[in-house]
Amino acid sequence: MSQQNRDGVLNPAYHHSETLEMDRGSPQRSQHQNPYASEDFRPRWDGGPAGRGGPEVLPPYDMERGPWDTTETIPMRPLPSEQDFGERYPSTSPQVHNGFGFEWEPANENSLAPPGWQQNSLEGHQAYRQGGESSVRQRGVRKYSLFPTGTLSTSALERLGFKEDEFQDVLEEERQDLVRELAAMSSRDRVRAVRQLPMNLQEKDQIRKKVLLKKTSEKQHQEQNCCTDCSQNVSMSFRRCGASFSAVPQALQLWQGTLKEIGGKFGTSVLSYFLFLKWLLMFNIFSFLVNFGFITVPQLLDHEAKNTGTFRGLEILTGAGYFSNSVLYYGFYSNGTVSGGSASGNSTSGMPQYNMQLAYFFTIGAYLVLCCISLVYSAARSFRENFMLAGAVVGNAGRLLSSWDFSVVNEKAVRLRQDNLRTQLKESLAEKTNENLSLTLSQKLARFGIHVAAWLVSTGMAAGCCAGVYFLCCYNMNLINKSPASQSLTAEAGTLLLPVVVSLINLVIPLLYSLFKKVEPFTFPRHQIYALIIRNVLLKMSILAMLCYFWLEQVVENDNINCWETFVGQDIYRLIIIDFIFCLLGSFFGEFLHNVIGTKCLSGLGVPEFDIARNVLDLIYAQTLAWIGIFFSPLLPAIQIIKLFLIFYLKKVSLMQNCQPPKRSWRAAQMMTTFILLLFFPSFSGALSVVAFIVWRKAPSESCGPFRGLAVPYDAVSQWMDSVDIDFHGSSCAVWIYNNLIKSVLFFLIITLLVLILIYLYWQIVAGRKVLIVLLQEQISNEGKDKTFLLEKIEKLKAQISAQTAQRGGAEVSHRTGSRAFQRSRRRSQDRGSRGLERGRVSTVDQGSRSPGRGRMPEYEPRSRGRDTALPGYVQEGIGTASMLGSEREYPGRADYLQEDPYSQEDSTGPPVPSALVQALLARRQAEEEDEEEGY
Amino acid sequence: MDYTNDPDCKVPIQLIINMPELMENPFKERIVESFSEAGDGNLSFNDFVDMFSVLSEMAPRELKAIYAFKIYDFNTDNFICKSDLEQTLNKLTREELTPEEVNLVCEKVIEEADLDGDGKLAFADFENMISRAPDFLSTFHIRI
Repeated sequence: MSQQNRDGVLNPAYHHSETLEMDRGSPQRSQHQNPYASEDFRPRWDGGPAGRGGPEVLPPYDMERGPWDTTETIPMRPLPSEQDFGERYPSTSPQVHNGFGFEWEPANENSLAPPGWQQNSLEGHQAYRQGGESSVRQRGVRKYSLFPTGTLSTSALERLGFKEDEFQDVLEEERQDLVRELAAMSSRDRVRAVRQLPMNLQEKDQIRKKVLLKKTSEKQHQEQNCCTDCSQNVSMSFRRCGASFSAVPQALQLWQGTLKEIGGKFGTSVLSYFLFLKWLLMFNIFSFLVNFGFITVPQLLDHEAKNTGTFRGLEILTGAGYFSNSVLYYGFYSNGTVSGGSASGNSTSGMPQYNMQLAYFFTIGAYLVLCCISLVYSAARSFRENFMLAGAVVGNAGRLLSSWDFSVVNEKAVRLRQDNLRTQLKESLAEKTNENLSLTLSQKLARFGIHVAAWLVSTGMAAGCCAGVYFLCCYNMNLINKSPASQSLTAEAGTLLLPVVVSLINLVIPLLYSLFKKVEPFTFPRHQIYALIIRNVLLKMSILAMLCYFWLEQVVENDNINCWETFVGQDIYRLIIIDFIFCLLGSFFGEFLHNVIGTKCLSGLGVPEFDIARNVLDLIYAQTLAWIGIFFSPLLPAIQIIKLFLIFYLKKVSLMQNCQPPKRSWRAAQMMTTFILLLFFPSFSGALSVVAFIVWRKAPSESCGPFRGLAVPYDAVSQWMDSVDIDFHGSSCAVWIYNNLIKSVLFFLIITLLVLILIYLYWQIVAGRKVLIVLLQEQISNEGKDKTFLLEKIEKLKAQISAQTAQRGGAEVSHRTGSRAFQRSRRRSQDRGSRGLERGRVSTVDQGSRSPGRGRMPEYEPRSRGRDTALPGYVQEGIGTASMLGSEREYPGRADYLQEDPYSQEDSTGPPVPSALVQALLARRQAEEEDEEEGY
Repeated sequence: MDYTNDPDCKVPIQLIINMPELMENPFKERIVESFSEAGDGNLSFNDFVDMFSVLSEMAPRELKAIYAFKIYDFNTDNFICKSDLEQTLNKLTREELTPEEVNLVCEKVIEEADLDGDGKLAFADFENMISRAPDFLSTFHIRI
């Protein structure tokens, strides 16, 4: 191979070859036309090799036939035979000399897209496919880093100078590798990997079949006995079962059509609210099932406890009266054991006993732990996906290329979106011009002052609300103290005062907060949203904290309340219900009236936008209440389910009727991450700590509930452990674990220390990676600078050399000429005669005029990397540079560089590299390295 | 069309871009073309399935990025160059920006996203940009 190369280089006739000229396709060709499939070109393919005695050529790849009709065919157009370039693109085209040479230059980048690239693009599909195989490969050894355009795709390989049979070999090998790699994966990974291949269905199927074939043939080598067969079958059926189960949630997707409608009309951002709502609904359905199954059903089986009350209707709002002595609340549950049908506290039958105390404790505990895990999991996943590299703000580029919402299908919505995008682009252009106007000191101070004032006012409002709520609670307390056992309707309705006030605060204060934006200037709208969210969260959480304080301090101590857990449960029930009613009113007044006024009376007001942040915060607030209430009222999730279900339809109708899509682009994914984090941090962790405080510290009521008679609810567990210790001596292991691990402070101390150490280690790793990212980014930009620098140098040299050759008259030095124009004229005038002969030597590599100089390059020189071929022609001189460049390009971030860099153009066009260039490059590199060293 | 007897038949582009899911999409022609085997927009059954599988929720980010790149690469030269960006911009704004504005925006986009300074966006640049735009995963998604 290398021999051939040398021949190619040394033979002067080679350089006179027509190749260079032929490589140019006619730029007029339509983009999607496939010249190989067209009738005109076909005969040449067939006749080509035989007639000219060139190397064997494969039949032209016919696109229409489908790439992998026969499984052995490589999914690519085979390389054009060496001599066919000239034939395919006859040099009679008048444009032939136009886009030639440094095609990447802006002058002819578009309409005269370099034919080589066009040709490349014809292989688009195949190239992408190859790239896709690589994506599988990335999982394993990142042998070739190929991107879609595939550094090792057809075109790249061609440019690298592989002969077609070798090229076929490489492809075949690559495919074999892929199959092997896939075969080595576990079946689940394999399914996923095959799914990720950017190929069409048929090809994926082919690959899959091959993999399966390979697997079965491998299996045949192993000895087959009944056992392996059986296990195989079992695992297969398990897998099938799992697959069909995993399809179930998709089939059962709730509100599929509605969600599509919303997404189509309002885009992904508004949709994210509804998805969040749906997620919360799922959460509540799960918790309802758990609580109902493990707490309520056993209690209902216990016939001793009967509810004696009359239903009056107001209970639906207040949750008191009839409900107060029902399964809805803590107080109704018994503290004994339930067994079978006729159960009682001291049943002595042999049937297994169901201890209500433990059931209550462990169900609530397990539910909260599961909630915690699921929240942490979704928060972490969403964080990883959405904040991965999102450090830098995506400006115009993101707006243009990644912001279009493909799910919008409504004509009006599309229009609106286009208008919004246009305004945004115009704004950003205007901002760019105003950017340099920096604020004066006084302006900065004024801004700062406004921010401080806004924060003070908002915190003051929150504090005032808290105080108001607390005094209202105390007032209620006094009423109860005055007339302890009042059953009158007015007294019951009076309990609604507190939740109404709380909901009113939650409705009005956020509106006031959003008015702040009229006076408070923010440089970025993002900051404004975050400030608004923080203020709202602060308000809601401080009110909840105040309520919790009241419940845990005042209610527990109050002797007039005989079952304080039920009392708190009722309070929470009322808060949830009234919050729901205010939500209804809010969407009516906030959205419907706004819409009516905006369209009928004051057109300046406009149609309201759907306020995603406020609505999501409302949901979070309600969910926090539900979590706090889970201990006092195990069936609260049922209420929450009904509420969320109704809210979904209500909001949908309100949205469709009254609202318009948001004008500003809303970073939905990141905001959702923020909301999930909010749901986790103040909301869930707050609720968890409240419940934990009750369980470990607060004495339960004397006369009601499963934990009656205990000092604290947790005593149920310790008493149970003691009884286990006495009753079953066999289970000493569990007791030992309980005594030495669960109760041991030292154990938790050690665990905490270990976790802290781990966190520190990861912290350090993250810090290291950050530095690495910065370094790599710098390297990329350096590489870009290198590129331009080299190109400039080469341009200069080219100019020099062409001047020299022109002086010399140039005939004998043509093969060393960098000047294209010169070559062309030379070729036209002189080389006609030798054309046929030379064609045999013409590059296979070259498929377009993109690299016109390729023809002069050593064709089959063994090359490890693309740019090793840089600075062609003079292998010896080139080596130093080439290897140097080659080694540089190996940094990881840019492994796919090979394919796209214009170096390959410059390589090929370049004249023999004089040592001056090499030295210049070396000097530059050295200088840069020194710079970097100083930098770090 | 008789799919059972002639499985090679293709649905013409005109029919596909008039689907309700695509009808209003400014990139409808490009989407269909990118997924057609021959690049002309006529889809075989397999192509059609491919299209909606890539545009589905389950498709991995990498795959979506590859096809999004193809869609924005109007002249199929494996780069998103300035002319591609101009076309994208015109489609996204219904050609109501002045040529100077279009030019300015396109230049800025290239300036922002081009890492290696070659004046056009290669897939690596595009992918890098996509990785900073987390919404892409949910917006490059057609619900069916």
